[in-house]
Amino acid sequence: MARTKLSDDRDLTEEQKLFKESINDWAERNFPLERVIRINREGHPFPQDIVEGLAELGLIMVTVPEEQGGMGLTWSDQIVIAEQLGYIDPSIATAAGFMAVETGWGFTINRYANEEIRERYIKPAIQGDKFVGIATTEPKGGSDVAGFESTGEKDGDEWVLNGEKTFISGVEECRRMGGGYWVNVRTGPKIPEAPHKNMTAFFVPIDTDGVQPQEPYDDAGRGSLSTSGFIMEDVRIPDEYMLGEEGKGFYYTMEGVDNARILIGASSVGVTRRILEEAADYIKERETFGRPLAKYEGIQFPFVERYIELEASDLMVKKVAKMQDQRYDEEGWLERTGKAKTYKPTEIAKWISMIKYKVPHLAKDTADDAMHWLGAAGYSSEYIFETAWRGVMSYCVGAEGGANIQKLVIARETLGKDYIPYK
Amino acid sequence: MLFVVLVKQVPDTTEVEVDEETGTIIREGVPSVLNAFDEFALNEAIDLKERMDEDVEIIAVSMGPPQAKDALKKCLAIGADSAILLTDRVFAGADTWATAVTLGRAVKKIGDVDVVFAGQEASDGNTAQVGPEVAAQLGISQLTFVADIEKVDKESGHIICKKETDEGHVRIKAELPAVIACMPEPGFEPKIPNVRDIMKAKKKSLDEWTFEDLGGDEEEYGLDGSESVVIRTYSPPPKGEGIKIEEKPEIAAEKIIEFMEEEGLL
Ligand SMILES: Cc1cc2nc3c(=O)[nH]c(=O)nc-3n(C[C@H](O)[C@H](O)[C@H](O)COP(=O)(O)OP(=O)(O)OC[C@H]3O[C@@H](n4cnc5c(N)ncnc54)[C@H](O)[C@@H]3O)c2cc1C
Ligand SMILES: Cc1cc2nc3c(=O)[nH]c(=O)nc-3n(C[C@H](O)[C@H](O)[C@H](O)COP(=O)(O)OP(=O)(O)OC[C@H]3O[C@@H](n4cnc5c(N)ncnc54)[C@H](O)[C@@H]3O)c2cc1C
Repeated sequence: MARTKLSDDRDLTEEQKLFKESINDWAERNFPLERVIRINREGHPFPQDIVEGLAELGLIMVTVPEEQGGMGLTWSDQIVIAEQLGYIDPSIATAAGFMAVETGWGFTINRYANEEIRERYIKPAIQGDKFVGIATTEPKGGSDVAGFESTGEKDGDEWVLNGEKTFISGVEECRRMGGGYWVNVRTGPKIPEAPHKNMTAFFVPIDTDGVQPQEPYDDAGRGSLSTSGFIMEDVRIPDEYMLGEEGKGFYYTMEGVDNARILIGASSVGVTRRILEEAADYIKERETFGRPLAKYEGIQFPFVERYIELEASDLMVKKVAKMQDQRYDEEGWLERTGKAKTYKPTEIAKWISMIKYKVPHLAKDTADDAMHWLGAAGYSSEYIFETAWRGVMSYCVGAEGGANIQKLVIARETLGKDYIPYK
Repeated sequence: MLFVVLVKQVPDTTEVEVDEETGTIIREGVPSVLNAFDEFALNEAIDLKERMDEDVEIIAVSMGPPQAKDALKKCLAIGADSAILLTDRVFAGADTWATAVTLGRAVKKIGDVDVVFAGQEASDGNTAQVGPEVAAQLGISQLTFVADIEKVDKESGHIICKKETDEGHVRIKAELPAVIACMPEPGFEPKIPNVRDIMKAKKKSLDEWTFEDLGGDEEEYGLDGSESVVIRTYSPPPKGEGIKIEEKPEIAAEKIIEFMEEEGLL
């Protein structure tokens, strides 16, 4: 029987179609589902040959401008790549490590980094030779981004950083490959009514003296990518490794979060699509009571409902990517032309939160459904569903912001600021 | 040196559906891809270009509807230097001969082509006729079932290829210019274009040529120029279940004779 295909690429550009084709051809050869499942069981660090393959395909940080070593692609192009990485690796490890983190955050680091960081870390990361990531979360600052406690004190032309970062993606990979993290610290007093003030972002190379990586967590899913943390004890970082301006870290962080969340939405579309295709192949073949499972409404109706949600999500992600393209195109527009921007950043953030909430949950729920449709087979790691379920759950519980945090953003933008629950 | 690679866009399926009335392939809703053997031919051309000291230009040429641009875009991403789509209502409905007439005219118009690369056959039409017919059109050498190209030597005016036969391989030397119909050996892995290749392809030229560009009479092209007529198109009925005789050879032979007599086959 011909394999079920649920994608329709006719609305993509010729280049976007070719991106997808290349990713699929490469995965068929080097990274089939069996390998995705196996490496998730074997655990991290993430296989270096796959990182190199992604780099050779030119997929890492494609939105970085060409003159800085990237491809200068749009977010509309970028989401096609992110979706397809979710499709080929529904455990989400590849897309989490190399889209959400390296590309979403890497692009943002690049914007605020000096030439030296670009040359020593960003360009090699694009080549697959280094890893760059984000370390905002702390024992006392998860959802409450501004609740962090790490500090930075100026000492001559250096800064001395202290504190602890937890639940950080890719620390093991970063140790193996070299690289570093975007780290937020407080460089002034904590102002109770404005705790986000005095947050400053630095780029901290992982091999700097005083950076002490911790044991990786034994996570439920995306086993091929490590999650860990590090303690910073008198870590000395030169002035030039500050990202952007002093005290503006919170705003840069919100921008980075937005970029990462778009790619999470896109890759979760890919995960959902793959789950539905794999499940369709099974339910069309498997017979009970003399008929294929796909003939029973108890199976085909929920299948259809998930499919509708998938296509709706796909359209939303495309809309959001266009908004983000507009945001960057219109940068400095007000100063240049006197024209107001099309969207306020907070409006874009609302849409981004909508996909960050909706699509990973859809992927998780679809995997859950598929396990029901398959019965015992679905529960076994021979099929991708349980690996996918455990992987996308990371985005529901917290990675790049928990579910309720997205709802807080959406409520703030729809009901108004007066209804922010924690104020 | 100048290489032309003939490429066809084919439906991405092994289960081609045919419109019973018109006898043509139903293409609506079926995703299309570059014919696999043509992709191999292009890979061979690029490989050769990379091995040669002199400058080589590779032009990918396809005849087809405007959507066939996708296949040419892919060729540009893989490494063709430019591409030409032959597209016109006049070309529509072509059989293999009319296809070869169109492609042959295009090769002539390009001029001074040293090697024309084709696939051995297309995965939809499967006739394996177009390559040789183009050679006939142009009155130049033709080599089929080419698995590898050893060298192209413009000075001595020869091409040396490895050709697959039922018994194995033969090395063949032919005069230039030549049409070579290529077929990969099992395990061949085509080059996968990366994002950079794909974006570079955007800047390469992809021209469209119509009937006006190729000249001649309208009757030579498309349906009018086709010598063959499709009377009916159908899928052969599936083979019935066979019989299996597991006996000593002498007994088995007797049983087969018996069976054939019963069925009136002898
Ligand atoms: C696999 C994985 C990888 C990660 N990688 C990184 C990384 O690379 N870098 C990094 O900095 N961080 C990373 N994180 C951490 C992530 O950013 C945090 O999990 C997230 O910010 C939530 O923080 P928390 O886990 O401490 O949960 P908490 O903040 O303790 O929240 C717990 C729960 O309560 C909900 N909640 C919180 N506040 C409210 C409220 N006011 N109203 C209603 N509900 C609320 C949240 O939605 C959540 O469900 C990762 C997390 C995971 C799971
Ligand atoms: C249902 C059906 C009925 C048909 N009926 C007839 C018929 O009655 N008589 C008849 O002669 N043909 C017929 N054809 C063939 C049809 O016209 C062919 O698709 C077309 O002419 C090319 O032949 P092919 O696909 O067999 O290519 P092949 O000869 O198998 O292709 C060999 C190579 O030639 C090149 N090539 C072929 N087509 C093109 C192209 N359009 N552009 C660029 N390069 C190309 C490619 O390199 C390809 O690998 C029929 C096809 C179908 C599906």
